[in-house]
Amino acid sequence: MSIKKLFKMKWLKPGNNNNRDRMNFVKYWADYVRTHPDDLWSKQQNVLIDSQISGARRFKHSPKKYLKIKNEPYS
Amino acid sequence: MEFINKRTIKLDKIMNELDKFILEFIKILEKHTDYVVVSGYVSILFGRARATEDIDILIKRLNKEKLSRLYNDLKKHGYWCLNTDNFNKIYSYLDDKLAVRFALKNETIPNVEVKFANNRLAREALKDTLDVMTKLGKIKISSIERQIAVKRYYLKSDKDLEDAKHLEELFKEHIDKSKINEYKKIIQNEMA
Repeated sequence: MSIKKLFKMKWLKPGNNNNRDRMNFVKYWADYVRTHPDDLWSKQQNVLIDSQISGARRFKHSPKKYLKIKNEPYS
Repeated sequence: MEFINKRTIKLDKIMNELDKFILEFIKILEKHTDYVVVSGYVSILFGRARATEDIDILIKRLNKEKLSRLYNDLKKHGYWCLNTDNFNKIYSYLDDKLAVRFALKNETIPNVEVKFANNRLAREALKDTLDVMTKLGKIKISSIERQIAVKRYYLKSDKDLEDAKHLEELFKEHIDKSKINEYKKIIQNEMA
């Protein structure tokens, strides 16, 4: 049995504009998270999150520069 | 993930660097004050396919002495405040309803954006929490209905609307839509 049938997954519906397309993916992915074991979705999500953090740790901003980008106080 | 009871969710996810970062921070924070994690990280904790550089936390308002104890404990455990190293300024920012950011020393990302629960919505969020039991510890988050309402009717950016949709789809069998409408009215009154 395919993984789609096993977990009763829906197909991803293409959107007719960028916003619709993004929202369709949000719904599709939320459905995947809801219907699959935590370790299966988190393994995929962690690729995205861990790579951002390891990238940020390699290319460090100073707090001053970071807060300037954020338009937040620094002293 | 499963609801153990109305206020507790068990999450068996593989913990990522962001999860580990916030859990370590919370271990120190909860020794000093009540807290609640709000906004984007709540959606990410539950699988939303996006990254973030910061995690928003509301804390119960602390007096200067208690905040000083928290700040010293954070410093002792290797954190620094990105906004200033002057404690009086940290207190003054928080007192002025601004958020201050903490990261591991010599890092800026990820960071925790800490704010006093200064208005009605924030104070209520501190009381209306869910416990998420992870493999590495407990995280107190704002209720799902409240998260959806704040993101959809207060923050309203594309990213926030997508976060709200993710939570709504994911928890569709558990959320109380009348509560979302109730929070919507409170938000609209606060904004009026």
